[in-house]
Amino acid sequence: MEIKTTTEGDKLTIVVSGRVDTVTAPELEAGLKFGDAKHVVIDLADVPYMSSAGLRLLLTAHKTMMGVGGELQISNVQPPVKEVFDITGFSDIFNLT
Amino acid sequence: MTDRGSLNLKLILSVLVAFALSMAFSWFLHDRLSERDAHGLIDRAFENVESEIIDCVNERLVRHCMEVRERLDEGYPDDTASLQALAREMNITEVSVADSKGNIVRSSVPEYLAGPGKPAFSFVTAGGMAEDMMCLVNGQETEYCQPFRCNTANGAWRKFVGVWKPSGGFVEIGCDGESLRALSRATIVDLFRNWRVGGKGGIVVTTPSGLVLSDYAEPNREGSQWIEPDGSFYWKRKDVESFPTYVMIPRGAAAVQRDVLVGATATLNGLALVFVALLVGVVISSFVRQQMRAQAAKDLELAKDIQLSALPNVFPPFPDEPAFSIWASMETAKEVGGDFYDFYFTGVDRVLFLVADVSGKGVPAAMFMMRAKTLIKSAAQTGKPLARVFEEANDALCEGNSSNTFVTAWAGEVNLKTGHVVYVNAGHNAPVVRRGGKCEYLKGRPSLVLGVMPGMKYGVGELHLERGDEIYLYTDGITEQPDPSGELYGDARLLKLLSGCPEKDGALLKAVLDDVRRHAGDAEQADDCTQLVMRYRGAPDVFTREYAPTIEGIASASADLAAALEHVPEADKARLMVAADEIFANIMRYSEAKRWSLTVERTHCPEGVWLVIADDGKPFDPLALRDPDTTLCAKDREVGGLGILIVKKTMSPVTYKRRNGQNILTMGKDYGNKDNN
Repeated sequence: MEIKTTTEGDKLTIVVSGRVDTVTAPELEAGLKFGDAKHVVIDLADVPYMSSAGLRLLLTAHKTMMGVGGELQISNVQPPVKEVFDITGFSDIFNLT
Repeated sequence: MTDRGSLNLKLILSVLVAFALSMAFSWFLHDRLSERDAHGLIDRAFENVESEIIDCVNERLVRHCMEVRERLDEGYPDDTASLQALAREMNITEVSVADSKGNIVRSSVPEYLAGPGKPAFSFVTAGGMAEDMMCLVNGQETEYCQPFRCNTANGAWRKFVGVWKPSGGFVEIGCDGESLRALSRATIVDLFRNWRVGGKGGIVVTTPSGLVLSDYAEPNREGSQWIEPDGSFYWKRKDVESFPTYVMIPRGAAAVQRDVLVGATATLNGLALVFVALLVGVVISSFVRQQMRAQAAKDLELAKDIQLSALPNVFPPFPDEPAFSIWASMETAKEVGGDFYDFYFTGVDRVLFLVADVSGKGVPAAMFMMRAKTLIKSAAQTGKPLARVFEEANDALCEGNSSNTFVTAWAGEVNLKTGHVVYVNAGHNAPVVRRGGKCEYLKGRPSLVLGVMPGMKYGVGELHLERGDEIYLYTDGITEQPDPSGELYGDARLLKLLSGCPEKDGALLKAVLDDVRRHAGDAEQADDCTQLVMRYRGAPDVFTREYAPTIEGIASASADLAAALEHVPEADKARLMVAADEIFANIMRYSEAKRWSLTVERTHCPEGVWLVIADDGKPFDPLALRDPDTTLCAKDREVGGLGILIVKKTMSPVTYKRRNGQNILTMGKDYGNKDNN
């Protein structure tokens, strides 16, 4: 798994590459550090699939951003991941772009 | 027919007996009634007869008494001796004269007169009927007659008659029976000659010695001797004024009414009984027919039950079996034939499937079918070669087969690993082989039917199936179903339908049956329609590995699975990977398992993947968990349970079982081309 982070003012973009599952989730968890950013974008264009281990991290991130009054955006969700979001109801929670 | 004939005879006999009894009773009743009527008639007639005789006698005696009074008035001496002479002269028994006080003052009978120490006979004090004579003294009557009776005074039979004397008192004469009859006999003669009682009955008056005075009919003519009537008369005797008097009615005349009534009753009853007998006959015969129909229907049901209960009827029969699928159906005709189908494993990788048709119909065919099915199965499950199975079954069926029933059968045995099929055809219709959308009959010379010739040798045919190939078996109920004009469904139409039909398995069988029904139209189903289709899917590619319940174990399993799914389309591969990851994570976190294993089966026709994940941890059925609520807002959401929800939503089917101390979760996914051809 690769995680690339870029910052533009208070906007933080995290690009994730590779599957997110029980094995890779600890890596992703380590990469999801937002600092003082008020606007976070997680780009999943290169994530072929994601299990509930990944969902747990995204939910935690979402709650964190809500707690500081910031905004979490999840972009470029691929169909297999979108399917999991739909099944679990996360499509209605996340701000998907 | 004989049973019904004797039933009818019994019915008629019992009706006749009932009729005779009712007539006898009716006759008896009316006979009693007519006898009673006749006696009533006789009693009523007697009232008239008595008063008529009494009137005649009285009139005669009053005249006689007046003559006696006249003689006395003319100065006939009235001393006792003279009066006795007068009595003799006048042919009477006694004569007395009473004064105005009712005392006898003159009499031919000395005892009536007053004597020393004895008063004269007094009509006032004598009592009995004597006092009635006093009406002559007090001016009420001028004449008075007593009936002929036994005198209370001296026990002699007398009839007393008195006439008044204008100068006071009265004259009384007394007659015994003989004198009474001598005086009045002439008035009786022929008195009743023309009297008729009840139309044909009549009256006879005789003297005590039986001389007929007033006749009625032969033989009792006037002047002849009375002959008592025989049994052909109702009659009664009464002595009136000492005359024996008979009223008689011929029985025949009295019985006319009885005979008319009984005759009418007999006619009406006869008609009623005939009607009832006919009605009962109709009711009974329709009841019997209904019973026979019900029995026949019951036999038919029994035969159907035997037939259907013997056949495997759960489809798909081996849902976890990836190498082949098998479907069969049987539509029984109204009159049950002896069709059957069967299939079972004869070895680890060998499955036998067959369709057969027993000759004949009804319960016997169904029983023979049971024997045939059992014999073939028990021989086949010993693992013998198919030809030998048929030879043994044939020999057993020939034994004691007196009804010459036989079975046609086609049986195939497929090797699930190689697709190699060995088959035997005992006089059955050639099956259809479907390969890649092309169909052809599996022609070849069939062997002899089963159950006809013992010691028969059966040859085998061979055939190789590729993945997706199908063999379709059927009985002649399909191909020989006529349409209303009598044209049969036929081999060609069946082949055409199978060639063009995209359906598989149960849907294929239904499509054929629908087409046969369309062909039949209004025509009735002629015979049992039995079909079976076996689709060879080929043995799956399988690998199994064990892993440690650690993150490294999961990593290793994920890598193996990803490699195994290399040719699986991306979307399905993603679903399988996610689902597997959820189960792996559960085992690692919660199961406390020491070891776990992953089995991947890649199946064919259609393409699919089966994952079997087994662990030796504590018993846990993830499918029994309640689904989490996925509609809550973000802050209330938990991640627990979502993994299993994803598995359930993306895999089909998912099954859990606990076996040999292991949790075994099986999940599958068919993907790719459903129509694998």
